[in-house]
Amino acid sequence: MGNFTLGSYVPMDSVIHKMDPRSKIIIMLLLMISIFIPSGIMGYILIGLFIFVILKLSKLNVKYVLRSMKPMMFMMVFLFVINVFVIKTGVPWIKLGWFSIYSDAVYQTLYIVVRLLFMIMITTILTSTTKPLDLTLGIEKLLKPLEKIKFPSHVIAMMISIALRFIPTLIEETQRIMNAQASRGVDLDNGSLKEKLMAILSLIVPLFISAFDRADQLANAMEARGYNPNATRTRYKVLKFSTMDFVGLFSSCLLLIVNIAIAYIL
Amino acid sequence: MNAIEIKNLSFSYDGQKDVIKNISLSIPKGSYTTIVGQNGSGKSTIAKLIIGLLGAKSGEIHVMGKELNEESVYDVRSHIGIVFQNPDNQFIGSTVADDIAFGLENHCVPQENMQAIIEDVASRVGMQDFLNSEPTKLSGGQKQRVAIAGILAMEPDIIIFDESTSMLDPQGKASINKQIRELHKEKQVTILSITHDMEEVAQSEHVVVLNEGNVVLEGTPMEIFKQEKLLKQMKLDIPFALEFSKKLTKEHITNECVCTLEEVVNQLCQLKSTI
Amino acid sequence: MSIEIHNLEHIYNKETPYPQAALKGVNLTIPEGKVTAIIGQTGSGKSTLVQHLNGLLLPTAGELEVCGFHIQPLLKIKDVKQLRKEVGLVFQFPEYQLFEETIEKDIAFGPKNFGATEQEASELVRKILPVVGLDESYLERSPFELSGGQKRRVAIAGILVLNPKVLVLDEPTAGLDPQGSKEMMTLFMNLNRQAHKTVILVTHDMEHVMKYCDHVIVMDHGNVAHEADVKEFFQNPDWLLNIGINPPSIIRLKLMLNEKGFNIPNDILDEESLLKCIKGQVKSHG
Repeated sequence: MGNFTLGSYVPMDSVIHKMDPRSKIIIMLLLMISIFIPSGIMGYILIGLFIFVILKLSKLNVKYVLRSMKPMMFMMVFLFVINVFVIKTGVPWIKLGWFSIYSDAVYQTLYIVVRLLFMIMITTILTSTTKPLDLTLGIEKLLKPLEKIKFPSHVIAMMISIALRFIPTLIEETQRIMNAQASRGVDLDNGSLKEKLMAILSLIVPLFISAFDRADQLANAMEARGYNPNATRTRYKVLKFSTMDFVGLFSSCLLLIVNIAIAYIL
Repeated sequence: MNAIEIKNLSFSYDGQKDVIKNISLSIPKGSYTTIVGQNGSGKSTIAKLIIGLLGAKSGEIHVMGKELNEESVYDVRSHIGIVFQNPDNQFIGSTVADDIAFGLENHCVPQENMQAIIEDVASRVGMQDFLNSEPTKLSGGQKQRVAIAGILAMEPDIIIFDESTSMLDPQGKASINKQIRELHKEKQVTILSITHDMEEVAQSEHVVVLNEGNVVLEGTPMEIFKQEKLLKQMKLDIPFALEFSKKLTKEHITNECVCTLEEVVNQLCQLKSTI
Repeated sequence: MSIEIHNLEHIYNKETPYPQAALKGVNLTIPEGKVTAIIGQTGSGKSTLVQHLNGLLLPTAGELEVCGFHIQPLLKIKDVKQLRKEVGLVFQFPEYQLFEETIEKDIAFGPKNFGATEQEASELVRKILPVVGLDESYLERSPFELSGGQKRRVAIAGILVLNPKVLVLDEPTAGLDPQGSKEMMTLFMNLNRQAHKTVILVTHDMEHVMKYCDHVIVMDHGNVAHEADVKEFFQNPDWLLNIGINPPSIIRLKLMLNEKGFNIPNDILDEESLLKCIKGQVKSHG
């Protein structure tokens, strides 16, 4: 039905799209570490600016990226409510009888919220600018050194790429089974607990059966085409570092160092 | 030489009931052979045995002169390509080019040669403008054409079509059947097609009829269709063209039965021009 | 009661940057008690159209009148569940909706969703099995050990057991062998001729349309391209050729002959009259 899922690849022509997936993954990891360094408001402003520059360079629609936050809203409100009741340090801002909000509760929530927002933005940018196959190729290459200790990096990469390839197919299938069962009177919104349980079962069982069917056929197709997980293979896609990759890696390292400096030295 | 040689082949899924019962078959090199039979007659099982996805209970299979066994299975697979029924469940790559490359990668084709091969085979199946398309954007027929391209890239000696058109719409079906005929005309590959489509059977050179794991009939389409009673018993149809051609001979309009529409029209045209 | 469709429009993802118009103002009357075929290329809007008939999809504009139910945009249909009971919709490859341990339980699933007791459901199941050509020995068997064709019969029984007035089938013979297809089509014909159900069939198989259907609707790019009685329909092979669909063999033969200079009128649609017509135009072998 052509539904575009948030976080899925958005084909565009930008420097970020053209970057090597390996460096994008490393930059993402460096940014994640930076986010978790308690470097205060100064550090967060720096990280925020850095992410904003990447976002601009990637030519992605800012609104589109912000939309990926929507599912998190509920969690953030929930977090805030809990913090209001649990954290009773700092300056009391509001006091109404037994109910009070302390400044630390607000700050703490904001810190967590900002961290979460940053992380979601980074991963959204990564998955929107990198084709799933490139991403798995990147992961595979980065994990390659681990093969020395018998870590099956190639098999894992292949599993991820096939899973990604079949997500749209399975979404379509789920929709079809839901419609088919709805035509048999299944009503997911109303009914007793037992009825709801049956309704869910009537979706899950067929979905599993068809997924196993597909997996079986897919395995046959792969084998018939000479796939042997234990043999060496050549690769169609080759990864190459470009200037932009070095710039990205260098600047994100710098960001991490500055953050560490702010947090622990200054 | 025969592309595929099967001797006394038996197979069973559960170890008790044989699905394939002591079959012997030979498929000549460069031929276009169709295998027909009801669902459950063992057609698709044979295909899986030939490419070594299933192991025989007894008997031998030789592919391009090589006996199929555990050691030779990867080697044999480099000679054979197979297009399965469900277009979705054999599309492995995330784009057309990646999917065509999958077989090349498995057979360790050097990376620098790949692009040229991919472009060449994609244009042979008319998919050259879709190299970067994702499978969700393609129709069933297009996906099957990509599957064929992926096989052609391996320069196989044999291509097996395992009910490859049965899930396609009429356009898809027509385009794949046309592709099969073109491949056959080029005469480089042996084609083995497992099908329900009697019009396709009429177009082939050699037909094998399976019933309950046995080869019941073997011969040219015309020889097979002559055994109408036997076919009816196995709940198989004869194509419309032959049915009509028979009526033409009964009415003494023509004097020889043919089994494709083109042949019927040709016959009638000759009679017309003599008026 | 026939099905009336007025200016039906359906746009997927209407509120997003990528809207897709699947139906662009469809006007139709689907006759009661007949077998109607809906044909068209993949993506012409056939499946979207039939999903409106039992309220799985609501129009984004326009309205429908189905079995006394009025369906229009943004309106919770008064009783969607009741509508789904009146209009039985069988999806493509329905065998993939089976999920219960036994065939009896699976077929009884629908009636129970519509409020039948165990006892009632069990009786209904026993009544419907012979209709789809299965006997009571199947009741306790698992649906997953059946052959593909039998599974499909069980799945169809799961809809028929609701005793719908209108039966909508999306490519019911896809993936079956010729014998299986024939049996399936005979089943639908019996439901129409004997149980007087309105049957609506989405199909790609023109031989089936010619042999079994009364009425034909041709969809093209979200519009109704043609609507006609089956006889009239096959007298206009251009309607099929224009949307890239291969006509049935007999029509193809006729077209090929006419191309070679024969003169076979449009209204010849069966083998006997075609034979006669050819006989008059060739020299006989005597």
